[in-house]
Amino acid sequence: MNNRRMLMFEIIRGAAAILVALIVAMIFIFICSDQPFEALRYMLVSPLVSNGSISMNSIYTIFAAMTPIIFTGLGVCVMFSSNQFNLGGEGCVMLGGFIAALVGIYCSTGTYLDMVIAVLIASIVCAVVLYIPAVLKVKLGASEMVSSLMINYIIMYVVLHFLNNVFADGSKGSVQTFPFAETARIPQLVAGGSKLTWGFILALIFTVLVALFMYRTRWGYSIRMIGINQNFAKYSGMKVGAVIILSQIIGGFLSGMGGALEVLGRYEVFLWRDLPGYGWTGVTVAILAKNNPIFIPIAAFFISYLNRGCTLMATYSDVPAEMVDIIQAVIFLFFAAEKFLAKYRQKLVVAGAKEELSQKNAAAAEGGQK
Amino acid sequence: MSNNEYVVQMKGITKVYPNGVAANQGVDFNVKKGEIHALMGENGAGKSTLMKMLFGLEQPTEGEIIINGEKVSLSSPMVAISKGIGMVHQHFMLVPSLTVAENMVLGMEPKKGMFIDYKKAVEITEEYAKKYNLHVDANAKIIDIPVGMKQKVEILKALVRGAKILILDEPTAVLTTQETAELFKELINLKEQGYTIIFISHKLKEIKQITDRLTIMRGGKSMGVYETADISEQGISRLMVGRDVILTVEKEKAQPTDVVLKVRDLEYTDSWNRKMLDKLSFSVRKGEILGIAGVEGNGQRELVEMLFNLNVPDAGTVTVNGQNILGVPQRKIREMGVSLIPEDRMVYGIASSGTIEENLMSDRFDKKKYNKGMLFDMNAMHEESDRLIDDYLVLCKSRKQEVGMLSGGNIQKVVVAREFSSDPILIIADQPTRGIDVGATEFIRKKLVELSREGAAVLLVSADLNEVMELSDSLVVFYNGKIAAYFEDTSMLNDEIMGEYMLGLKKQTEEEVRRVCHE
Repeated sequence: MNNRRMLMFEIIRGAAAILVALIVAMIFIFICSDQPFEALRYMLVSPLVSNGSISMNSIYTIFAAMTPIIFTGLGVCVMFSSNQFNLGGEGCVMLGGFIAALVGIYCSTGTYLDMVIAVLIASIVCAVVLYIPAVLKVKLGASEMVSSLMINYIIMYVVLHFLNNVFADGSKGSVQTFPFAETARIPQLVAGGSKLTWGFILALIFTVLVALFMYRTRWGYSIRMIGINQNFAKYSGMKVGAVIILSQIIGGFLSGMGGALEVLGRYEVFLWRDLPGYGWTGVTVAILAKNNPIFIPIAAFFISYLNRGCTLMATYSDVPAEMVDIIQAVIFLFFAAEKFLAKYRQKLVVAGAKEELSQKNAAAAEGGQK
Repeated sequence: MSNNEYVVQMKGITKVYPNGVAANQGVDFNVKKGEIHALMGENGAGKSTLMKMLFGLEQPTEGEIIINGEKVSLSSPMVAISKGIGMVHQHFMLVPSLTVAENMVLGMEPKKGMFIDYKKAVEITEEYAKKYNLHVDANAKIIDIPVGMKQKVEILKALVRGAKILILDEPTAVLTTQETAELFKELINLKEQGYTIIFISHKLKEIKQITDRLTIMRGGKSMGVYETADISEQGISRLMVGRDVILTVEKEKAQPTDVVLKVRDLEYTDSWNRKMLDKLSFSVRKGEILGIAGVEGNGQRELVEMLFNLNVPDAGTVTVNGQNILGVPQRKIREMGVSLIPEDRMVYGIASSGTIEENLMSDRFDKKKYNKGMLFDMNAMHEESDRLIDDYLVLCKSRKQEVGMLSGGNIQKVVVAREFSSDPILIIADQPTRGIDVGATEFIRKKLVELSREGAAVLLVSADLNEVMELSDSLVVFYNGKIAAYFEDTSMLNDEIMGEYMLGLKKQTEEEVRRVCHE
């Protein structure tokens, strides 16, 4: 079948899903706002434009927000590709951030190696943590979805316990750690309040690395084949169990890295009291990107843009910030719905098949004349 | 021509599947009342699609269906049944744990108060069985009855539901010679009672024997309707494939040498406590094709599973060139030079949403040849997959095409290309040509003979009697998990003899069977 036609269809479908979601959002906005057009302007235009000109600072803020969800999105992408619905990325973000903070506080060498070490250790710890649901699945057949979901809460309460009772800075009014060493902080990419760090560049580099890993290495290939048909992979001689574990370790590693970069880039102390939500967003991002690493930054941009718009709308108009959740949920729904626009797709397919047939027949007729 | 002559008229039927395959293109198909009408064609010719539309399982993209002169829209099998159409699928749709009578009335159970009136169900079953001379045991559970009887149950099921037009999808594929003969008698009986039968098959001899007219399909189009008496077997085959198919395989006499595969005293009892393999022993030698014939379900599948570590036997040994392969990871088994064409290509053979290339590489992607450091050597991979696509005549647009989009025959060629190109010393071919077109079948059979003559040991498991008899140098017959007979030379065999061993009517002595161990 015509691949370009299908790609076009997917793009149209994505755009239509977004459009429908926005229309639904608009309905809500019209219901709950006295100045609905003003509110819409804040949501859709203001992330890019302020005071009539394009605001770079606002764009940097969006880029900064993309950083952690690109990492979690990539992590989910690798895990889902092996058909493992591991949802532990959320906990890994928190754990990664916490571990990186501790390393940055207590293991400082005073050189810029600090941040490398902090991020690496955090990522490795998270990889080890997601080894648990993976090995439970492979050895005992325990659903990775359930065990990884539970692990998120175990992580959260363990982190809170240590934060409250062991590592808290007693001199501060709120619960937080001591500040990290200067050398452990991720340097800013641009000056100003956007907090856009080199972590963003790293996220883009990792996008390419993960894409290469998935499509150009024997491990990525094994992960994808196992995801499509585990029986086939086993019969072909792949080490199914090991690869399933590997995919989840990588997922943990990437999510942990996202958390570490976020904490070391945006904060001076660790003060998260709850799961940050980047892991869940990562699932959305991975689904929007259809588990293709290359599309992850685009999906992440879209989500971050929407978040930013909703924040602005909530700040400057009378629409509540919860609106973003409604919009996200609706988009998610339409993307996940395989049959959305299926009739249109069928029409495209029929048109394509007919075209091809007539070409073939024409070619045959020509051949016959010669 | 009066419209009443035809009970089924399908006009200008076009069907395009969501994956873009145009399975039917402007097909006309007419069936007269009270005839046995054959629908013939290679796999992928569009027969099944056409019949699925007649039974309401699929809806046509274009065209109209007229039943008994009335234009109908068959939106589901329920509607089709209400119009008097019944279908017996190739794979039976019966509930194995229920009795024949219970299956018969499934979904239309006679009630006695709140409960199913089982006695009434048995009565209905027996009444119909008698009326149509289709003998079944109403109280037996489906799981316990032979394939031939299951088929009768399916036919009766359709009749009980008021079918006047019966579609039989390759009904003889699972039957022995004797069972087939019985089925034909029953079908002629039904015909005499005024029923119309549509008979899907590839088997030329059967078609000649039983049908009145036939429609031949090729490439999604109808190649015409013929009176069966007016057309020769060669004529049919020419229309089906557009060329003369060589119906026999030419091969030199085998010169077997050393034993490669040695199976000794293999035993396996399945989870329903059925003894599937009973002290099974045999050997396959280098340079020969050993065929395993037998009605399906007599231990063939279990044996193949054991040989590729997809299942674990209770006892016994299996060696390849003296090395144990029981419980050895598939990777090791493959490294020892064993290849398997699995029985069900969609379950084990391919990853259907992967590309052709990805499917061709699945056993060799981690070889040095295809890797440059950490990354794949994409050029080497492209080269290898293009070579395999050319050598094995896989019809496709490019190596990047999704393998699941190909026709059955081409999917099988992808599997075969991979399994045959790894320099195997032992090839296990389990139903290598099941459900694929004549062209691909011929190609795969030729390759199999070629490889065995080049020195591979081949174990061929096939439910297609002609295939095992044509291809095998020597042959064993499985019955009840045991070898019922061993024939060192297949040239003297015929269907009749085979049927008797396959049905357990005859059995060779232990000594005769023991010869297959070559000790």
